[in-house]
Amino acid sequence: MARTDTFHCSVITPGRPVLECEATALVFPAHDGEMGILRDRAPITCKLGIGALRVEATDKTHTFFIDRGFAQVVDNKVTILTEQAKRPEEIDADAARTALDAAHEMKITDDASFVARSDAIRRAEKQIAMTRGA
Amino acid sequence: MANKRVLVKRRKAVRNIRKITRTMQLIATARFQAAMARATASKPYAEKLAELVADLSESAEQISHPLMETHEDVKRSILLIITSMRGLCGGYNAGVLRTAIGHLDSQENKGVESDVHMVGKKGVGYFRFLKRSMAEQITHIGEVPSFEDTEPIANGFMDRFSKGEVASVHVAHMRFLSAGRQRPAVIQLLPLVQEPSADADAAAPKGPKADFEFSPEPAELLGDLLPATVRVRLLQCFNDATVSEHIARMVAMKAATDAAEDMITMLSRKYNRARQTQITMELLDIVGGADALS
Repeated sequence: MARTDTFHCSVITPGRPVLECEATALVFPAHDGEMGILRDRAPITCKLGIGALRVEATDKTHTFFIDRGFAQVVDNKVTILTEQAKRPEEIDADAARTALDAAHEMKITDDASFVARSDAIRRAEKQIAMTRGA
Repeated sequence: MANKRVLVKRRKAVRNIRKITRTMQLIATARFQAAMARATASKPYAEKLAELVADLSESAEQISHPLMETHEDVKRSILLIITSMRGLCGGYNAGVLRTAIGHLDSQENKGVESDVHMVGKKGVGYFRFLKRSMAEQITHIGEVPSFEDTEPIANGFMDRFSKGEVASVHVAHMRFLSAGRQRPAVIQLLPLVQEPSADADAAAPKGPKADFEFSPEPAELLGDLLPATVRVRLLQCFNDATVSEHIARMVAMKAATDAAEDMITMLSRKYNRARQTQITMELLDIVGGADALS
């Protein structure tokens, strides 16, 4: 029997659609914190931040590192548009560590450079955490 | 006698060339299919993004964004020309470059200076030959343009545009219309204009739109969506160009193979005739000799 607690989920990057599946729950990093989605969520368009996207599909859980983008939920269809979606096994932990060191070295001169630095640190830390956690 | 030898040699040479061009045609076909698959795979993202922009522009009363402003007083613009890294693709590069130079001339007539950003060795070589200046030469993007390659280019353009250094950014490339039709075209990347495409009409009669919650406010969201649109549009230009290049090479190599085949037929005929002539002459010699003896 078909389950009634699922919704459709697609993760799309500029290169290709990364994931198309039926999911029971989904957590994405919104620009202001993580957000969880279940079936029958009211329509929303949301900006994404940097972090882990978790999709509880009917058969398995998919995890991705995503770097900004947009999410749209409408009619039990969730679309995640992001310029970068990496599975944990695709993350280069050493590169992320180097990036973290480089990020700590960045000089803060104005607001923009402050944001750039904290984004870079966040990006690197999240990736490192995901390689460990997964 | 020498004539016959020469003909055999030439026919052999043409046969070898045919072998090469046929292989190149097959390779181009395979690459075209791969490029086509990649281009198709990148469509959903662009379409969804356009959909989001359309949804949002309905919700936000007035759209104003640095990327949509026109700078009339700035007398400088950017033209990105996408050519191929390799030759043997027929009129592909010539078509793009002709269109690009036409655009540059028309800009010049308007008193606007253009910075040329050239992609591909072939275009670089041509502009060097013309002794035209290029602001940037991009030759690291190979057969497979990836988002990571094109993103910095798009970001650089957006940066210069929003600082008000340039009035517009155009891209000259081979536009892919269908597998049978490609046309060199110059498209405007910045200032951003809504795509007057069929999608908008198709999306319109969808009935009542869902009442969206927006996080953050529509105007702010749009501010992030538009740069993403520019980036993906540039990627599509590159994808179009690659697909068209492979088609152009396929067509050129098919023509070369056909021409080689014709030439082989012609050479074979010439050779047969030469051989026949030689035999006839030898026979005549023998008959003449026999006659003289008797």
